[in-house]
Amino acid sequence: MKGEEVERLVRALLGELSRSDVSALGRDEDLVEHLGLDSLQGLSFLAAVEKRFQVRFPDELLAALRSVGALVEGIQSARKEPVA
Amino acid sequence: MRIGLIAMSGVRVRNPELAALGVSLPQFVSRGRVIASLPSLGLLTVAGLTPREHEVLYLEFAELPPADQELERFDLVGISSFTAQIDEAYALADRYRAIGVPVALGGLHVSLLPEEAARHADAIVVNGAEGAWPRLLQDFQAGRMQPRYEGLRARVFEEPNYVLPRFELLRGRPYNRLTVQTSRGCPLDCEFCAASLRITSSFQQKPVDKVVAEIRAAREVTSQPFFELADDNTFISKKWGKELLRALRPLGIRWFTETDISVADDEELLELLAESGCAQVLIGLESPDAGSLASLDPHNWKQRRCDDYLRAIERIQSRGVSVNGCFILGLDNHGPDIFEKVRDFVARAGLIEVQVTVQTPFPGTPLHARLKREGRLLPEPYWDRCTLFDVTYEPLHMSRAELEAGMRWLFSELYNEREFLQRKRRYMELVKQRI
Repeated sequence: MKGEEVERLVRALLGELSRSDVSALGRDEDLVEHLGLDSLQGLSFLAAVEKRFQVRFPDELLAALRSVGALVEGIQSARKEPVA
Repeated sequence: MRIGLIAMSGVRVRNPELAALGVSLPQFVSRGRVIASLPSLGLLTVAGLTPREHEVLYLEFAELPPADQELERFDLVGISSFTAQIDEAYALADRYRAIGVPVALGGLHVSLLPEEAARHADAIVVNGAEGAWPRLLQDFQAGRMQPRYEGLRARVFEEPNYVLPRFELLRGRPYNRLTVQTSRGCPLDCEFCAASLRITSSFQQKPVDKVVAEIRAAREVTSQPFFELADDNTFISKKWGKELLRALRPLGIRWFTETDISVADDEELLELLAESGCAQVLIGLESPDAGSLASLDPHNWKQRRCDDYLRAIERIQSRGVSVNGCFILGLDNHGPDIFEKVRDFVARAGLIEVQVTVQTPFPGTPLHARLKREGRLLPEPYWDRCTLFDVTYEPLHMSRAELEAGMRWLFSELYNEREFLQRKRRYMELVKQRI
């Protein structure tokens, strides 16, 4: 799956879960600040991304996955690794 | 009339070693920040009790303003604070009175030690503000304000005593968490508890339609706030609890509350918790072994429930609702082995979040009275050390130094980066099971 397609799917999932229009959200914009997510919501979103894309992000990178761009890169990177 | 309502609400630790450790432990710091960032629901209620003909400003001071800083002028100031910051609240009250601004003091600490508070105020309000603040204002305007006003200890959620807190005073401020109270008091009556049960005559529940109205009012101020229910024990009544949760379900909010382990007894309640957007329940487990819990509450309720803790936590968290398990160190039956016991229990239970504090004899509690009788308290007043992290008494089965050192060790074990990440991962795996 190419980066553009991953980004489209990430945005669709984000819009679905946050019930917000995220089409205008910048690629590097901070999701937690922009959507007002609390820490557990942030983790819930990451869990949903992992499940949808069948990946597992390294635990130490979770805190850094705060933008659409970081998520796309994280998914692509995790897909190169076997899912735990 | 221009009225200033001031909350002194910073959170800090006095013990320098623990304070230094705290800033490097991610989960320890995060909960402290959350507590410090919550607005004072008590003062927003006081604002609601103030006739609209008066101008009300709501202010928060994390610490006493510098001595050379000019204070904003008001016709009347109301100040509320926690025990740990009461000395600063008194100092602020003294400064206002020195420049000719009358001061009213209220809140839990003032209610429990009214004579002490009265030395720093033109008037004090004890118990809830309901039934007291409107009379105080009337008297003040008529030039006959009394030194003491007794608020109601019952029927605070009934008309005409109940008012909607004025959430609109928070407009334009960066809150992402707002508080709503659904009940006052708790029938468990734990010896150490210094919460609202000390200013109520019995457990009181707010009608569900009033809770919903408050949430709607709060959402007009902040579009997607996370709600913290400012209760001591929300789900005492499962029937009322289910009614509340059914009403919360369509609101699409995320929320947190404090309750007891019995929520796990009711399957329907657990389902409704998850469906209504409950992200986390904070539960006072207090200690991982039943022996330590003897005499903590008059009916030994927590001791009797202790053996079921692990299963109950699993039942709650399997719904995708995380449990913030609270432990108190330094109970009378705790010896130096308690620190490892807590660490091991947290690991076994898979708790998503943990809150560990030291037993604190707040003034006005049965614990304070007992330890005073036994000659085990630090010289009073030690209020600035009532932070929940500073030791203010002589433990029974270990020394103060052992308790302090053990607490630091346990904090390092529970709140380090590795544990923090493991808890995050545990939560994510729970969520995945649900979606």
